[in-house]
Amino acid sequence: MPSLTSLDHLLLISALTLVLMLLFGRLRIAGPASVVLYGGQFAALIATGVLFGEPVASSFTLTVLDQTMSWRYDALSWFFAMITIGAGFVCAWYAAGAWMDRYRERGHSARAFHVALALNVFSMLLLLGSGDFLSLFLGWELVSWASFLLMVIAGGLAAKAALRYLAYAFTGAMAILGGMALVYGQVGTFAYADVLEALPAMSNGQLWTLLLLLGSGFAVKMGLLPFHLWQAGAYAETPGPGSAFLGAISARMGLYAIIVVFVAGAGIARLTALEVPYTFLSSRELIAWIAALTVILPTYTALQQHDARYLLAWHGIGQGGYMLLGLMVGNAVGSAGGLLHVFNYAITQAALLMAVFAVAHRTGTTDLNKLGGLVTRMPLTFLVLLFGIISLAGLPPMAGFVSKWMVYRSLLTEGMPLLFVAAVIGTLGTILSVYKLIHNIFLGQLRLEHVDVREAPLSMLIPMLGLSAVIFLAGFIPGPALSWVAQVQQLLGLPQVPFTLGGIVDARGGLDMIWLVSILMAGFGVGALVFFGLGNKSRRVHQLDNYAGGHFLTADVRYQYSDNFYAGLMHLIGSWYRGTFLWLEGALASSLELMSHAMNGLYRFVQPTLLMLAAAVAALAWASA
Amino acid sequence: MDWQELVIELILMPLVAFIAGLGMVLMMRKIAARIQRRVGPPLLQPLWDIIKLHGKVTQTSHGLIHEIGIVMAIGGYVAAETLLPVPGMNGLSEKGGLIALLYMTMIPSLGLALGVGQCANPNGSIGISRALTAMLAYDIPMVIVIFGVAYHFQSTNLVQIIAAQQAGGVETWGIVQMPLLAIAGLFGLQAMLGKQPFEIYVAPAEIATGPMVEMGGKFLGGLFVMQCFQLYTAAVLYTVLFLGGGQDWITFLLKAFAVVAIPMTIAFVFPRYRTEDMVRLVWKWPVMIGLLGIAFVMN
Repeated sequence: MPSLTSLDHLLLISALTLVLMLLFGRLRIAGPASVVLYGGQFAALIATGVLFGEPVASSFTLTVLDQTMSWRYDALSWFFAMITIGAGFVCAWYAAGAWMDRYRERGHSARAFHVALALNVFSMLLLLGSGDFLSLFLGWELVSWASFLLMVIAGGLAAKAALRYLAYAFTGAMAILGGMALVYGQVGTFAYADVLEALPAMSNGQLWTLLLLLGSGFAVKMGLLPFHLWQAGAYAETPGPGSAFLGAISARMGLYAIIVVFVAGAGIARLTALEVPYTFLSSRELIAWIAALTVILPTYTALQQHDARYLLAWHGIGQGGYMLLGLMVGNAVGSAGGLLHVFNYAITQAALLMAVFAVAHRTGTTDLNKLGGLVTRMPLTFLVLLFGIISLAGLPPMAGFVSKWMVYRSLLTEGMPLLFVAAVIGTLGTILSVYKLIHNIFLGQLRLEHVDVREAPLSMLIPMLGLSAVIFLAGFIPGPALSWVAQVQQLLGLPQVPFTLGGIVDARGGLDMIWLVSILMAGFGVGALVFFGLGNKSRRVHQLDNYAGGHFLTADVRYQYSDNFYAGLMHLIGSWYRGTFLWLEGALASSLELMSHAMNGLYRFVQPTLLMLAAAVAALAWASA
Repeated sequence: MDWQELVIELILMPLVAFIAGLGMVLMMRKIAARIQRRVGPPLLQPLWDIIKLHGKVTQTSHGLIHEIGIVMAIGGYVAAETLLPVPGMNGLSEKGGLIALLYMTMIPSLGLALGVGQCANPNGSIGISRALTAMLAYDIPMVIVIFGVAYHFQSTNLVQIIAAQQAGGVETWGIVQMPLLAIAGLFGLQAMLGKQPFEIYVAPAEIATGPMVEMGGKFLGGLFVMQCFQLYTAAVLYTVLFLGGGQDWITFLLKAFAVVAIPMTIAFVFPRYRTEDMVRLVWKWPVMIGLLGIAFVMN
């Protein structure tokens, strides 16, 4: 037996977490224990040292029909695995205390939750370590089933959304399988090294087929247009920490696969040379435009949501577009921005969803029309949500600004005006929608039934506040995260981003967040001096002491302005929401149903003998020809 | 650069911005008065207004976020001023550049939005929803303009953009090189400053239905300060992008005041558009002109 490598340790600890949760998931200690175990996985990942060192292979292999499946970790795997385990860690912590008590009281199984989360992390780690297309497919299927499990354990609406996800995931997996068969037919092996070497030399027709099959399979997981419909419902309805975990990282597995096959394998240059027939677009521009539309359309769908969870889940789809957009720009700053956004978005989305579920924990609802004024009751949760929305909207000083800035900057350098404008349109829509989110939950009128609401429990607050600190620090000092990204770029053969501790070096317009954030804080200091230092002292009135239009408003009158928040805008763009993708999905589903009815009729009700005769005649005709 | 020099610049830049901003507010009120055949306020009136508002006895606060909103509104602009190069002082403009500046100026709007939100006045919230909608409207032509200018000079570094324009006299100014973008920018500026016909979200004439509804005393005073900064920032940004920045303070201030005078003069002869009409108009004309401008720049 060969000695165990550091990667084996990581996978074994992850498997151990899964087994322990399976055995002892019912016990109360399972929550804290899982946090420790995810911490152990994190330590094991750091111990592999693949980010700045050499890739590590696992000593486990599996041989099926003369095909060997192997696993190995490189800088790209490390980057995604770090986010995966980190998300598992904070979500497990969030779930470990008061949240799980409530979850049990509702009659749900704690074991099922722990197992589902551990299985998700384990299967993602397997996928990220895949060394060939077979292990990729194995990991892919495991990830799909694991997310399905996490979605379905709560039942109800979640189960319905999960079934929809399953339909999409199956279709995607079939497309990937088809793509793999094609690759095998061409190259004769499943090993990455051989396949990736052969990819750039393939003919245009072959590459297009691969792009359509593999690309759309990966796009399903990533929630790219037009395969995005499953994601918002499925992620939003998953129980609290599970939703935060899926929202933070799960869909990025699709991006990982896209990076492996199309960025590292085919390469940006090959994609640029691959023309879309009968147009002046290259496949790279086509993918960039799909990414840009994935930014815009789901973001503006989010703008119309009334449920905080759905609003955030729709934004999750949109933010994925920025990552792909940056990668498709493909220069040093752009691809780094796309990769960095995976990390920045993950910490942001996890914090946001946790804050929303903390509100749900205390008030029992995430309906934006049934909340309001909670800032005085849950100030720390407000702070977490505030940090999160600033980052999600991509405003300084939070993390999200840095990665989005890099994507904008690269679009500018490369001279892509329309994509640049599209990216900004997405950001503006995000600002509108996240203001509605924070306004309708925390600002405005406090409802009488929420007067006694208390701050979220400590076990939920600690991971939330921790994430908020990371969001701020990753904005203040983006250097460390950029150094990870630069390693990944080196591995992928992309130009490396020139970075410092504070941001990007560029003679034609760089970014130094340490200066920017410091001056912003200094500015706030000046603002505070002016406001609190000068003038007469202000007197605080009671939160429920309000008036409008010359009338005093008593607390039992509901006057919160929340429904149809952007009425003026919707007068103009409201009619642009046509539900085209829903219509398409419906049309596809009903045509499939019709076909199944037709087949059913053919085989079961039409004269079987007649069919046999027809088949026999056809066979004879074929044989004699 | 010497750190003492930098500290002095970082203090002077917002201070100069505030004083010039006061002058712009005065000019705005003078122009309005002259168009309406009044005399208008005396020289120090804007300053007295701020002092008066801070000195009011009744200072009603609706909570900490209400107060922090004002702090953010002022603080965001104080920080933004250090990113805007003025004659002899570059401050931090090479640390951020054009895109960072654009996003930095959204911080005050966010602060105002948060502050108004906590007041729990439905009219205030409606005002904010209109203000954010207006932002969605005018920022699209604005980023088109910014893209065009940055692409033309192949830089987002404002110091380089100014240097490139000053290299060859008026001929190399942005407005000569990119007239269409300059027009689109001016159009966007009108909406950005919330001047008629795009002033529905500020609704200054009927304070009870806009974002300012719960803002009295030093809350309004803080927003007055913010307005000074806002006028100055917009004017200087336009000057830097299209009018060659400033070689010396006299021409620089002349240009900046002239830039603000244009929207003011247009504003007071216009009525008002509804929100959706404003969005439609801004998404149509300046966007079309701006895209056409980019097409010229990129060829």
